[in-house]
Amino acid sequence: MDFGWSEQQDALRGKVVEFLRDHLPDGWQDIAALSPGSQEVTDFSREFCPKLAEAGLLASHWPPEFGGRDAPAWDHFIIGEVMWEAGEPRGPQYYNVNWIGPTILHYGNEEQKAQHLCRMMQGDVIWCQGFSEPSGGSDLAAMRTRAERDGDRYRINGQKIWTSYARLAEFCFLLARTGAGKRDISVFLIPMDRPGITVRPIESVVGDGDLHEVFFDDVEALESERLGPEGKGWDVVRYSLNFERVGIPRYALALRTLHAAVADLEASGSFTETARLAAALAMSSCEAARMLVYEAVDQRSKSAPGTGIASMARYAVVLAERQVADFVLDWTPHLFVSETNPMVATHHKRAIAAGLAAGAAEIQLNLVARDMLGLGT
Amino acid sequence: MDFDFSEDQQMLMTAFEGLLAPWTQAPQGLHGYTVYSAELQAEIAAAGFMEIAAQPGFSLLDAALLVEAGAACPVSVELASSMMIAPLLANAEGPLAVASALGQPVRYLPVSQSVCLFHDGDVWQAPVASAQIEVLDSVAAYPLGRLARVPNAASKLSSDLAGTIRRRALIGIAAEAAGLMRGAIDCTVAYVRERQQFGQPLGHFQAIQHRLAESAQLARASRWLAFRAADSERESDAATACLYAQESMRKVITDCHQFTGAMGLTLEWPLHLWTYRMKVLQGEFGGKGAQARRLAQSAWPETATEAAALPEMAM
Repeated sequence: MDFGWSEQQDALRGKVVEFLRDHLPDGWQDIAALSPGSQEVTDFSREFCPKLAEAGLLASHWPPEFGGRDAPAWDHFIIGEVMWEAGEPRGPQYYNVNWIGPTILHYGNEEQKAQHLCRMMQGDVIWCQGFSEPSGGSDLAAMRTRAERDGDRYRINGQKIWTSYARLAEFCFLLARTGAGKRDISVFLIPMDRPGITVRPIESVVGDGDLHEVFFDDVEALESERLGPEGKGWDVVRYSLNFERVGIPRYALALRTLHAAVADLEASGSFTETARLAAALAMSSCEAARMLVYEAVDQRSKSAPGTGIASMARYAVVLAERQVADFVLDWTPHLFVSETNPMVATHHKRAIAAGLAAGAAEIQLNLVARDMLGLGT
Repeated sequence: MDFDFSEDQQMLMTAFEGLLAPWTQAPQGLHGYTVYSAELQAEIAAAGFMEIAAQPGFSLLDAALLVEAGAACPVSVELASSMMIAPLLANAEGPLAVASALGQPVRYLPVSQSVCLFHDGDVWQAPVASAQIEVLDSVAAYPLGRLARVPNAASKLSSDLAGTIRRRALIGIAAEAAGLMRGAIDCTVAYVRERQQFGQPLGHFQAIQHRLAESAQLARASRWLAFRAADSERESDAATACLYAQESMRKVITDCHQFTGAMGLTLEWPLHLWTYRMKVLQGEFGGKGAQARRLAQSAWPETATEAAALPEMAM
């Protein structure tokens, strides 16, 4: 048991911090204040990620044939911590390297790996994830989008909703029903310019480009675009979700936001005893979330993370995000509604979605109760 | 970063758990509030576990592992102070009680050989035999006593040492709290799996599943924070671990009792052996208010003028 970083890990963190210092423009915080799915952040990510790849920092955890160097899972996570704290300059491309890529690496055939992982390593491809539907969000098994066999291909009909980054995405990691059984689901890797796909942005309080409706009207999919065996999509999704739940080190931006709010209070001489108590409690929640996320990453670095710990970590992250967001609203409301510190508003937008994305917080509790406490019906 | 036991730690835990094994079930037909075992206390000391932090290849982290494992048992024994604080002192025969202030309840004082006392900005050490102690008769599952004054035979320790003792006391509280939460949750999970209401086990109700899952999250994070603090011995880590544990115990105590119903109010059901230790730990060393103050002081140090204007930090 060891809770410190190795010299190599400290050096890596230093290298990433230095990389950001050299490559983030002066006005980066104003760009980052827009959502990862905005045109501006997406455009920025297409300039930034190729440089990151060149420096060996985009997907070092992948095998050399796909541009990585088989680095330990911890390396990629350390890079992610620094990136998220800085406002995520990889924009929507964090999807690619955090969980879509690793899932393709695990379940994809050689052609799929060569096609998609190599594109991801170029640092300019945007993916979206077609999971939620009007009839089922957290209840993924209630999905209605169907992929009907038509000879050597499929015809996909249905609708997805809340799809992040869909408007600018080139590919979709799409779930569709391929049989009559509740769990008869398959995963498809579909180009978003395929005829029959329509994307409509949904205006929201979480930022521009984050929520969309995506309609599939007789969309053709090739058999070679199916990821994993037909009807086994559930396993693929579970694998992917375990990465997604602890993929983003959300406590890192939460802590940065907390420090910003405290600095503001200190500057005005208003960091009272009561505020100090609230700030310390919020900080301890962030540290608690950090430790559980680290435990999940540690498990992943040794094998695959169990469902329970990824869900428990995710729930702790949700609480920490909420506590910091509430601290800002309670003590520094002017930061929430002004441009004084754009990262505070950015944090709020990202924090309020934490308890919904990758399965509602209540789903995480169901999984903890079932997988870690042995409680169930 | 490695969350698994090393080979040495695995061997240590196997040996320690073997020693605890006969004590992991609460005694049948219990009529008292406290189950302190002088026998187990002596066995652990005789086996050399109290000196673990000073053993070659081991550290304070290993002491924290043992404290956490010991606290998950229904039987209470004084481990944290003997393992974490006694090695800092000369002639501190265990069990060792640590009093955060005069007049406050002190865990294990009536069964201890030595005591450390924080008073008026200083820390003192004394043999318990030389002290005038009041044994407190309470529902708490710790043997409790109180010191009315600094014992005449007490020797004053250096202020540097005082800081280390306080920090280790906080780490000990955090590790002990984590074990207690784990013990209480395990006891409650076993109960809700068996207890039937409305034609099914209580554990089938989602309202109960969710709250126990939340408690399990608090307990597990408390455990890692305590171990991290023992590993680093940083002031901020110690304050974070103790603050988070003291805040978390409130919910764990409430929910474990709530789901155990009136059975949890009885002495025959062992739940109180964990929860009524937690109730004492919740307010130790100033409770979460003081720990939050300590963490804030580490994270956002005040200028000397501001600090002087504030009331003295609770010990």
